[in-house]
Amino acid sequence: MKRLQLQRWSSSVLSPQARAGSRLPRRIQHGLRYQSTNPFPVTDAEAEQLFEEEPSRSSIRPSQISKHALPSPPVEAARESAKLAALHARLYLPSRLPLETLGRTLVDESADPNANFNNESLATLGHDLLTQYTSEYLICTYPRLPMTVIFAAMYAYVGPKTLAAMTNEWGVELAAAPGGEVDPGHLQFRRLAPGTNPNETPMRTDRRWEEQTWRRSVTSKVVNDNVFGDPVRASVNPKLLAKAAAKNTAGVSAEEASAQFVRAVVGAIYLHAGRPAAKRFFEQHFLSRHLNISDLFNFSEPARDLARLCARESFEPPVAKVLSETGRLSRHPVFVVGIFSGKDKLGEGAGSSLLEARSRASVAALKAWYLYSPMNVRLPNSMEEDGAAPWKPVHVDLGEVIV
Amino acid sequence: MPVQGIRTVTAARNGVGAFILQCKQLDFHYCDWAGSSRGMVAFLKHQLPAFAKANPQIEIRVSPRPHKHPVIKGHYINGREKAICVRNLEPEQIFNKANLLKEASGEKLKRTKKPITSLNESVRGIWSPYHGGFKSV
Amino acid sequence: MASTLATAKRPLLSLPFLSPSSCELMPLTSRRSQSSYRRTKQRLRVKPDASFGPSMTQVQGDHIVYNPPSSAPSVYHTPAKFLPNDDIRRSLRTDASVTHRNSTDITSPNETPGLKRYHLNPSDVLEIRRLRTSDPLTWSRSKLAKRFDCSPLFISMVCGASPEKKEMQKQVLEAVQSRWGTKRRMAREDRKLRKESWGRDC
Repeated sequence: MKRLQLQRWSSSVLSPQARAGSRLPRRIQHGLRYQSTNPFPVTDAEAEQLFEEEPSRSSIRPSQISKHALPSPPVEAARESAKLAALHARLYLPSRLPLETLGRTLVDESADPNANFNNESLATLGHDLLTQYTSEYLICTYPRLPMTVIFAAMYAYVGPKTLAAMTNEWGVELAAAPGGEVDPGHLQFRRLAPGTNPNETPMRTDRRWEEQTWRRSVTSKVVNDNVFGDPVRASVNPKLLAKAAAKNTAGVSAEEASAQFVRAVVGAIYLHAGRPAAKRFFEQHFLSRHLNISDLFNFSEPARDLARLCARESFEPPVAKVLSETGRLSRHPVFVVGIFSGKDKLGEGAGSSLLEARSRASVAALKAWYLYSPMNVRLPNSMEEDGAAPWKPVHVDLGEVIV
Repeated sequence: MPVQGIRTVTAARNGVGAFILQCKQLDFHYCDWAGSSRGMVAFLKHQLPAFAKANPQIEIRVSPRPHKHPVIKGHYINGREKAICVRNLEPEQIFNKANLLKEASGEKLKRTKKPITSLNESVRGIWSPYHGGFKSV
Repeated sequence: MASTLATAKRPLLSLPFLSPSSCELMPLTSRRSQSSYRRTKQRLRVKPDASFGPSMTQVQGDHIVYNPPSSAPSVYHTPAKFLPNDDIRRSLRTDASVTHRNSTDITSPNETPGLKRYHLNPSDVLEIRRLRTSDPLTWSRSKLAKRFDCSPLFISMVCGASPEKKEMQKQVLEAVQSRWGTKRRMAREDRKLRKESWGRDC
């Protein structure tokens, strides 16, 4: 396969003035920033028209446009912002990622609806990359995880809460309100009006699907919902979505804006510095965070599940046996119960009653099953490198226990 | 539903993977007139450019504060700030103070009693009286 | 002066820590602290357990000390039975993970699960359904289970209760719960929450 020319693509991400003397048409070098609240980009015909008009408008320099008239900071302000340069250095971003793009990742869609100046496209790319790398890692490392736990782990690694926490830990400050005069090193978004519920999704049109019982199953979540098992907004009518975007009265929560920023940074790294840099960034900033996957399980009937599991895998039926106990007749007895299948001990747990100990032991046994991890895990994205060793299939499990 | 997932957030471990310098901004305040700022002015003239170049992660602001002693103020990612008064100090001493602020984590100073603080479980687990071989001493 | 008085009160030789092996003759004033220090030190100097050293059967060269932790096993440690067939750890772990206790000598708290009998035929099932729908008051789950020699769970799997019976049972439950005071109600709620936390392992 021919190598993709990422640099050529990334030049289109760069805003007009960032690359003087590039292959971009001359009208862009003209220096006028066609930035407005108009969500529809300038068409070719209009661009030609503007190009024709250039001599008459050449007196207008960007410095003469009031910064206050712009919805987000002008592109050339990125070079002058100390905060932006400090953020670039603090994250050890590759030098091929220019400050202008980093400044663009800090402009949320709610601040500047113009798709050429906000981070929405970068965030879409970054979100896809993040979810792909995380799901690959989770599924290959723990091939037996139940789907609901995978959803929870995805949420823990790249969910909006985590990304918002990362924005905070990267030292990014939030602008009080977006505008052209704001330092480009601040995260800019339109805030929610006081009293609005950030969790409600006003753009949803069809609630009928939610009320169906089959809509709530795990399988339907896999098919219809997003990577965290939440209903997606994409199921709404796109016309209504466009209308809502055109109106743009509603702001976003700080959490959502921060999450979009982190995703956009990943997307920008991918575009400007290429895949290896994006992968390295993901490993260093996302996978290095601490998550104990065994804390994500919530069983309702562990003993029954374990019996079903043993029947499915044709093990001997599980038997609970007391390993040790103290104070059976006292007020605070402790029993340690092990779950055995034949001669093998599957798990053990301690509790203040025999039932509790048995239940905890079953939980331990089920977790031991689900948290199996093969040795020498190799992720599918390693095949993207040049000269990668031939792929060996990873361990694929039957799936979770269905009762 | 047999098993459900519990939503949590991963915990940051700064330095495992990526390291983020916790000092994000240093303010240098000086006075043109006062004698206590003489060392600070010399530091700003001769050493600050090299310091700023060596630490691009830190946003550096220089501002006069007439009729006051010179101060270096560090702003940290956790929202706290630390200020050091550098009156009558030599440029080298001021450089050391700036380095001190740069390397600080922003937390209040506290005595560390344990050699290691970790989120990971210990390899041998939490001791329990009901496990392991029962050794008679 | 004081020391002579003390010796007069307590005969020297009857004190247990003054046995000739453990102490030597010292000035009487400092003897007490010295001897107790040495005594406690000696008690603390325990020989390491045999399991820490090399076993007798092994050669004295390189060897592995197997001393499992005295803690509950980690869930990340997959039991050998749960490892897939192609996993290399399956063959490695067989000898080391042999349970130290013989699992057969442990008394079982619950009755050993018997083999499934499958002794009811379709006509019995029909009979169960007929009895339960015709007279739900007499033929409760436990009575049916006793009569057909199966578990109450099986009865509930075969046929559910009629809506009238459910409504009646609900009313009975409400009548009972209406007599509960705050203490009992809270205790019941706490118990329920505690039971839910078993599955979360916290």
